[in-house]
Amino acid sequence: MASYLLKRILWMMPLLLGISLISFFIMHLAPGDITTSEASFNPKASEESRQKLRALYNLDKPVIVQYGLWVKRLAKLDFGTSFASHQRPVFWQTTDKDGNVTLGMIQEALPITLLINVLSLLLIIGIALPLGVISALKQNQWPDRGITMFVFLGFAIPGFWLALMLMYWTGVQHSWLPISGLESMGHENLTWPAQIWDTLQHLVLPVFISAITGLAGISLFVRNGMLDVLHQDYITTARAKGLNENKIIYGHALRNALLPLITIFGLSIPGLIGGSVIAESIFAIPGMGKLFYDAVLMRDFPVIMGILTIGAILTMLGNLLADVSYAWADPRVRRGAM
Amino acid sequence: MKLVWQNPLTLIGFIIISSILLLAAIAPLIAPYDPNAIDVKAILLGPSQLHLMGTDGLGRDVFSRMLYGARISLMVGFVAVGIATLIGIVLGAIAGFYRGWVDTVIMRTVDVMLSIPTFFLILAVIAFLSPSIWNIMIVIGLTSWMGVTRLVRAEFLSLRNREFVLAAQALGAKDFRLIFGHLLPNSLTPIIVSSILGIASAVLVESGLSFLGLGVQAPQASWGNILTDGKEYIQFAWWLSLFPGLAILLTVLGYNLLGDGLRDAYNPRSNQH
Repeated sequence: MASYLLKRILWMMPLLLGISLISFFIMHLAPGDITTSEASFNPKASEESRQKLRALYNLDKPVIVQYGLWVKRLAKLDFGTSFASHQRPVFWQTTDKDGNVTLGMIQEALPITLLINVLSLLLIIGIALPLGVISALKQNQWPDRGITMFVFLGFAIPGFWLALMLMYWTGVQHSWLPISGLESMGHENLTWPAQIWDTLQHLVLPVFISAITGLAGISLFVRNGMLDVLHQDYITTARAKGLNENKIIYGHALRNALLPLITIFGLSIPGLIGGSVIAESIFAIPGMGKLFYDAVLMRDFPVIMGILTIGAILTMLGNLLADVSYAWADPRVRRGAM
Repeated sequence: MKLVWQNPLTLIGFIIISSILLLAAIAPLIAPYDPNAIDVKAILLGPSQLHLMGTDGLGRDVFSRMLYGARISLMVGFVAVGIATLIGIVLGAIAGFYRGWVDTVIMRTVDVMLSIPTFFLILAVIAFLSPSIWNIMIVIGLTSWMGVTRLVRAEFLSLRNREFVLAAQALGAKDFRLIFGHLLPNSLTPIIVSSILGIASAVLVESGLSFLGLGVQAPQASWGNILTDGKEYIQFAWWLSLFPGLAILLTVLGYNLLGDGLRDAYNPRSNQH
């Protein structure tokens, strides 16, 4: 196990290097250099501050040296400071000489996005599992056909449109749910259970919107997985020895059908992070997606690069976690790969 | 071919897509108004006989804009997927045919690309270039070739040592002929299926980008940017949000039904359930 883990972690290094290369290339796509866009963003930027920026990004050195330096800073997780938000650190908090702590932008945004994604994963599992199982057990009967229609609609519905419709229906027409931000006015004056309740209400729509595509995908996946497993010899054996049907379905079939789900969840992480842009910018939630969207509009390059890299690292960690859990759950894989 | 139409869902998908293609093709003939003509006397009118889908905040006819928007959505889908498929075929063919270190390099690049949240990557590139329809098609294409590459490579690996390929090789066929004359034609079905499904997701990405204001720019109409206006006026003008949303939904649904149906028809294994 330990050597397998080590191998996987070592394998992340060249991957990271590749990602840094792509990010670096994108940074150099910009017409002119970043100091021109900084200057256009802030007309008061003096020649002196431009020089400072050039030195910070080593734009006066040859490209290959620039890349080396950029990787060196990445290795220290140093993403610099934001152009647009008063020099706030992009990634993690800094303390100045008076002991004032400035929180990092990603440090603040990441937990919010993670919370939304974890909740939406729980929602997906809670709804998609039963749907998939029912669909497989009632194959080609009306529940299966209904669920299949739902799956196709879930794949086709544009998340931002559904968000807009739900916002209008639940928020504007009926005022059932808050439609923007994570806290109501006066949130800080509430008792803590009321604060949690308030935030939960704000989370309902964004979590649902983030979950909708996944819901469709995972239901379909569970259905097909169950159908595959139900045709296996060991299920026939279980039936032949007279095991009761519930035990066969939930004890034998479901457990095996669920194994590949671990990998699917690992693979879906980049999609979930990327999808957070739309949900968060519609509902004005200060997470990674909103931060990224704002940074794109402001051409705030350090923030853009920081989020791209952190997003990629998260994806790789997610895949690693998925592979390790898979090996842990399936003894055959464990013996083969480790 | 008969098998394909046995599934009513595939037929529905085909009908949806061909109707939208037809409407987009004859848009100039059937659009009742100039899609960009501003009419201050007709601002935010509801659907009526004069304006089938109402008018927007500038008095433009939504039905006409929807028709022209269909052209944009379909074009983005086709061109972006065309780019992705071309890259995927070339890289996948090289990786699957020659194997060895070229294969390793290509497949590791695929891994890297798959680790970056694609939507972030697209937004970042759009931020550095300027949002225009061509940039969007190119960027979506350049960020979605990984699936096709894996697919073509897998097909090539499984076909590479079949008798008919070995026979052609023994007869002295050059690599180029083996790849384009024998291996590729036999891998076409899964490539076509994945392209059709790819168009569906390209349409979604384009409309999402346009909705965020980073896609097709005004005054050019796209379903996504009609929806952006719809968001502004959602309390007074439901028609501005409803129709473009439904159009995107139908288009994506159509492509998905068609792609899935074709896959099931040509791949008996996935049809066994």
